[in-house]
Amino acid sequence: MSGASGTRAVWWWLSLAMLVVMAVFLLYPLLNILTGSFGSGGRNGWAQLLADTTYLEAIGNTLILATAVTLLSVLIGVPLAYLASRYSFPGKSALALLPLITLVIPEVITAQTWLMLLGNNGVITRALRAYDIALPSFYGWNGLIVSLTFTYYAYVYISTLAAVRGFDVQLEEAAQSLGTSPVKSRLKVLVPVILPSVMAGALLVFTMVMGNFGTSSILGGPVKLLSVMTYQAAVAEGGSDPVMQSTLASVAVGLIVIVLFCQRWILSRGRYQVVQGRSARPVPLAGGQALLLGGAAGAVVVISLMPLVMLVAGAFTRARGPVMAWGEWTFANFERLLLTNPAPILNTLLYAGTATVIGMMASTIISYMIVKKRNTFTPLLDYLGTLPLALSGTAIGIGLAMSFNGGWLPLTGTGAIIVLAYVIRRLPFAMRNASSTLYNIPDSIEEASISLGVPPVPSFFKVVLPLMLPAIASAMVLTWAVTVSELSTSIIVYSGGRETMPIQIYKLIDSNLMASASAMGVLLLAVILIPIVIATKVFKVELFSSG
Amino acid sequence: MGIKIENLGVTYGNHRVIEGLSLAIEPGSFFTLLGPSGCGKTTLLRTIAGFIDASTGRILFGGSDVTRLPAHRRNIGMVFQDYALFPDKTVNDNVAYGLRARGEEGATMRRKIGEALERVGLGHLGERHPAALSGGQRQRVALARALVIQPQVLLMDEPLSNLDAKLRLQVRGTITELQREAGITTVFVTHDQEEALAMSDRIGVMKSGKLEQVGTPSQIYRESVSAYVADFVGAANTIEIDAPAGTAGQGTASIRLAGHAMAARVPAPLTGPKAMFVARPEDISLAPRGEGGGNRVAGTVTGRQYLGGKTSYVVEIGEGITLAVETHGDGHDRHVPGAAVDLGFDPQKTLVLAS
Repeated sequence: MSGASGTRAVWWWLSLAMLVVMAVFLLYPLLNILTGSFGSGGRNGWAQLLADTTYLEAIGNTLILATAVTLLSVLIGVPLAYLASRYSFPGKSALALLPLITLVIPEVITAQTWLMLLGNNGVITRALRAYDIALPSFYGWNGLIVSLTFTYYAYVYISTLAAVRGFDVQLEEAAQSLGTSPVKSRLKVLVPVILPSVMAGALLVFTMVMGNFGTSSILGGPVKLLSVMTYQAAVAEGGSDPVMQSTLASVAVGLIVIVLFCQRWILSRGRYQVVQGRSARPVPLAGGQALLLGGAAGAVVVISLMPLVMLVAGAFTRARGPVMAWGEWTFANFERLLLTNPAPILNTLLYAGTATVIGMMASTIISYMIVKKRNTFTPLLDYLGTLPLALSGTAIGIGLAMSFNGGWLPLTGTGAIIVLAYVIRRLPFAMRNASSTLYNIPDSIEEASISLGVPPVPSFFKVVLPLMLPAIASAMVLTWAVTVSELSTSIIVYSGGRETMPIQIYKLIDSNLMASASAMGVLLLAVILIPIVIATKVFKVELFSSG
Repeated sequence: MGIKIENLGVTYGNHRVIEGLSLAIEPGSFFTLLGPSGCGKTTLLRTIAGFIDASTGRILFGGSDVTRLPAHRRNIGMVFQDYALFPDKTVNDNVAYGLRARGEEGATMRRKIGEALERVGLGHLGERHPAALSGGQRQRVALARALVIQPQVLLMDEPLSNLDAKLRLQVRGTITELQREAGITTVFVTHDQEEALAMSDRIGVMKSGKLEQVGTPSQIYRESVSAYVADFVGAANTIEIDAPAGTAGQGTASIRLAGHAMAARVPAPLTGPKAMFVARPEDISLAPRGEGGGNRVAGTVTGRQYLGGKTSYVVEIGEGITLAVETHGDGHDRHVPGAAVDLGFDPQKTLVLAS
């Protein structure tokens, strides 16, 4: 140990070790996907892809779907955010629930409850049928677009809201003082400033729709989609197609990478440093205006919360197979789940719990090195840590299944591969949370401790870690929430008896057993919500402080 | 305990931040590293503290080599620009932190904490958290925390720059007082020349990783060795001129400034064909045209700012050259813009330095 270089060596080795681990569990599977697409023995996946129009159709459909859902999300999210930040009206506080909805309601549940309303056997469909009104089929474009829009629009809402709130109204006033009308000022000054945030939210939605598996598979019906075809190639009952699964996963990765590059490019051009200014005081709305705008906002909130209502109702409704006896209440659905097959619940708690703890520790250490102990390897760690964002869940699953199926590290068939899948998929999320707090802790705190005679490593534990704890606690709860509802990767790597709750819900929906699916959904929500409630109410953790 | 730095070099990657720097700081003295941002003063301080490794050279505290000693074993007191108080700990616990690391506890520790806080005038605030203190109070706590461990040297990195003007004066007083009282060798980093002049026993002016000049405040101000130092320490008119003929030696030389002949002092041998004319605004006298004494230059007032106790003028002397001039005393604002004036130069205070 000599001077500062001694401790630097410790971090150097640790970052190298982390890099190796990430290379093994992230780069190696990715490499396997890409090389697998070229097949062996003269079977090239790319030639097959171009020859078979079904695949090209699926790619086209996926892009169309992502575009449509993104546009609708912007159309709902942006006006809603503007309304929420600039006006006050009765019932506005309900809008505050929106960010929670995106995190709390797993998309399978959203898709399922839409089916319970508008599916072939849906409540509304049946009610209208009694009057001889036939609704168009919800399977296909209608269902996909409606359900995915209400699953993802809140991402646009949240990012726009932050930008509109942070906007300095004095700029708008300045524009007016220079002689432009209020409406024109708003368009000319506000729009360019919030545009990058809107774009960021929109592109996030775009990539999420492209990678979406659950809703796409449940509601897709006749519409061929990339993620669903990839999944089918991977786990088809008549034997999987290793070459095509790799090829399709490569296409998915390539598409998201292109979108992310576009995002980088747009953000690098349009990033404005908005100086802390005076934000607008909300203008109260009254009379017809309040009714109209408040009503519109209310409708969005109600539709967003509708899955919860449907879910609870369905969970307590007696069912004979697929037929729901609405109006007859029962606990039988829960009894059946808990008594005959509690394994999915226990599996979820075990795997997601392990993954959350491992993921938080890994992301805290990695973020600490990236933010505070930069060296040759840390930029690479940073890139690798965000790489899972460019991989759809299905692609990650395929990569893991290909890489750890036998060989030197056989994980297939174990719970470990599910834990691994969870950790990898949620790593960017956990790292972003950890590093945002670390940026707020000045280096001088740690140096002050060292200067007072405490060695570097104890200094970290004595002064830096305590400051990170509140953020770690909130990141842990949020990571738990998004991990528990993970579906698209785990459904590829799980093996019989290791079903998790979302997988079980997916299977129950597939068998059209909506009552049981609802009951499992209620339990899943409880698994997600109970830690959130305990953390915020008992431990006073602020969930969205650093967001 | 004195600090000795021998031939120190610091490199970041391929970038040499400090090169071949040597310096001796007397035991118990207050030494200031002064320079603009990026000159390497903070790097030097952090290398003395042990947060940055020296790539060459040695650092000695009181004769013992600490170059390879990790920061936490150098027994330093450090005060940071952003205070660096532990926000989750009370004032008492902040001050106790270093004492606990040294195995102190119980009544002795509490007595030391009480005394340390009493000395900075915050004896009554021990139970507060840093967030409940003003900026000035926070920096006093940081000072108490650094001094309570009785460090060998006290290192301060721009400790006053986050405070407003009034507080800066108060905390400045506290720092000087405590430093004299404890007789502790102190290295203070700042870019504020007024701070440096007011507080220091000696000042080292830094430029591009090297010490440009080391001396007492009056040496630095009165006998600047370069236009860079003169310009950085206090305001100075610096104008490039032709080097006067036959000035290989030192003494008074006759120079030409904007076509006017005048006498000035050459304190050190000049090299090269060009030299720097350096005169401080308050060292130039101002009189109506024809009323000035010897060694004068004719000019026209082009700007005037009344500053209460003094007036600041801009005077053009031809060839597009303007000089800043400051006048005090009765009627210091009597010259109006457009007036024809004589500028008088004291040959002893008007310097010609290597450019």
